[in-house]
Amino acid sequence: MAFSFQSKAADLNVPQDELAQETVYPLFDNPVSVRNRNVQDSGTFDIGIFGGAAITEPIANTSKFGLSLNYHFNEAHALGLLYAKNSTGLSKDAQAMKDEFNLDFNRAPFPEYSLMADYNYKLYYGKLSVTKNGVLNTSIFVSAAGGMIKYVHKSYPAIAIGIGERFYFTNHLALKIDLRMFFNNAPIPFKAGALREGVDPVPSYDSFAERLTYTTNLEIGLNYLF
Amino acid sequence: MIKTSLILIPILIASLSAQAQQPEGRSYRAQIENSVNLIKTGKNLAAAQQLLGLSRTSTIPAERARIKYLFGLSLMELNLNQTAAFQFAELIRTGDPSWTKQAIEKLLVVTDKLGDETLLNFAIQRVDINQIPAQNREMLFYRLAETKHKAGLAKEAIEFYSKVTPRSRYYFNALYNMGLAQAESNQPDLALQSFRRLLNSRAKANVTDTNKVAAQMAIARVLYQKQDWAKSIEAYSLIPRDHKYWHDALFEKTWAMLRAARFRSTLSNFQSLHSSYYEDAYLPETLLLRSIVYLYICQYDEMEKVLSLYERQYGPALTRVNNFLKNTNSDMYFQEVNKTYQLKKNTDDKKQLALPYNILKRVSEEGDVRRSYAYLKKINDERKLVEGSSQLKGSSVGSYALRILNNRINSTRAVIGDQAKRHLTAIKEELTDLNEQSSFIRYEMINGKKETIKKRLSGKELPKSNEETRDRSFYVQNGYEYYPFQGEYWLDEIGNYHYLGKQSCE
Repeated sequence: MAFSFQSKAADLNVPQDELAQETVYPLFDNPVSVRNRNVQDSGTFDIGIFGGAAITEPIANTSKFGLSLNYHFNEAHALGLLYAKNSTGLSKDAQAMKDEFNLDFNRAPFPEYSLMADYNYKLYYGKLSVTKNGVLNTSIFVSAAGGMIKYVHKSYPAIAIGIGERFYFTNHLALKIDLRMFFNNAPIPFKAGALREGVDPVPSYDSFAERLTYTTNLEIGLNYLF
Repeated sequence: MIKTSLILIPILIASLSAQAQQPEGRSYRAQIENSVNLIKTGKNLAAAQQLLGLSRTSTIPAERARIKYLFGLSLMELNLNQTAAFQFAELIRTGDPSWTKQAIEKLLVVTDKLGDETLLNFAIQRVDINQIPAQNREMLFYRLAETKHKAGLAKEAIEFYSKVTPRSRYYFNALYNMGLAQAESNQPDLALQSFRRLLNSRAKANVTDTNKVAAQMAIARVLYQKQDWAKSIEAYSLIPRDHKYWHDALFEKTWAMLRAARFRSTLSNFQSLHSSYYEDAYLPETLLLRSIVYLYICQYDEMEKVLSLYERQYGPALTRVNNFLKNTNSDMYFQEVNKTYQLKKNTDDKKQLALPYNILKRVSEEGDVRRSYAYLKKINDERKLVEGSSQLKGSSVGSYALRILNNRINSTRAVIGDQAKRHLTAIKEELTDLNEQSSFIRYEMINGKKETIKKRLSGKELPKSNEETRDRSFYVQNGYEYYPFQGEYWLDEIGNYHYLGKQSCE
């Protein structure tokens, strides 16, 4: 439950007979791991901003920015909304293909934003002592989200599952890291003969075939609990 | 004609009655023999039914006593111990010499099972030890010792406790109580010997074995009594944390540390004692003690926090106790204790209580209340046994048992209520006294603050070293790692908090 990464022990003067002799827990009528938590999130809201990257996105710009709002029902469950706006343009790889092979993936439909309801189950609350001067509380959670991803021409229902961690700098402010895998139907950006730059007519977005697509996203943001 | 009939009726009744009385002795004896056979063949309910009927109609004193004894016996076999005890007690009261001895023996056995102290004492007062069978004799020694012990006759109690041999299931209890009686009669060295004997005899038992832990705790207490603070601290440290005595050990060790002038260690322990894990514990004294230690080291801000905490917690508690003590109905006291027992098992909702939970918890954990409650539970179990068996419930024995049990339940509830009231009155007195002390301590605090300000104004305050300015008044160390404690209590850290603040006195 508690970790400590310290490079140097301080000069402390505690008699040996006062140090714990065993590793058993004290006996209580109703034992719980932690009392008087620093981070009291039960019945609170948190609001967050984040930036993310679609790690496995081949064509569209991989970066996105978003906002999230969560309500923490108790110390285990939270439900919220998240909105992520995708950046426009192409990914590095798609830009290289454009430069090298004259393939313009801007002709293919690309995602604009996603809007999802996000459920978090908080698995673990703990703390880290990086130096002996401070303690950082942390919470690990799994997430399940459902909503839609809006492409330029159409909206697709989507679901996502993930795992994340919050590192609390104070009792309210946390760094949030979220890794999610999205599942949704999406247009296939590859269409023979339609992507060459200058070739007319420009294919309509509806003409692209669709299939189930998996995308892995990594998001990092700041959340404020109030 | 009608007049003649009216005159004839009483004559007829008298004549029938005379005819019935003539063979009564033979007929009863036959029925009693039949009941004995039923008991022998395990048909205890049928026997009890027959014996109950006989006990109501019998007019021959000798047979009546025998019937009562056999009835009690059959009830014992049916696990209706309280109802059986009632028969034996009744029989003893009649003083019939031919059945009293057996009845006392049986009463000792059933009251021992029930934990019914009143009837047990009743039996003990009438017993002749030499006539009790060997298998029950050690139990009797133990119970007699207990009675003497409670009466404050330590010497006699020790004598009886020492007669309980290692063969008896009362041996460990007897050894422990003997040590206790020796300690109470100011023979700490003998008490230590008794407790060490108990500890040694449980050497191979599990680390949390209650006899073993109780012996260790008693050793620490006797060493404290001898004012050997260092050894006492050492002995308290051996109480395992996963035992319910650990918290008491920590509290008592804190006193020993204070007496040994180990102020920093004392403050370390308070951090665990006052953690939210023990929010249900009734510890007003420790808060005042903590504030006094802060006074010794001139930490007035910390002192003020602790005093305020005391006043916030125990000021309103005293008012609530005072108000509650205006109730005269003992059942209201019982109800509060009962709710506390239920809360312990089921839920954390303590708002439904008329008194603070920590105070009621303390009351419910008092030895006499606990024993009476355990006895009440046994009677309730017996009632459930009757009500749960359609055969028993529908019988006259069942109705009879329920009547006795309901009476006992009511009287025991009243006893628990009175015990609770007595403890609450003691708590009220304690809190009143502590509140007064709190005012004195606050006065000392203000005085200390004033002196500090005076020194500061006259430039006498000592410059603070770099070490002192570091904010690390509390930290957690388990022997390998340490880090600052930020007021968040973790189960695996309880007992590992250490105070690093220094004294601020000149």
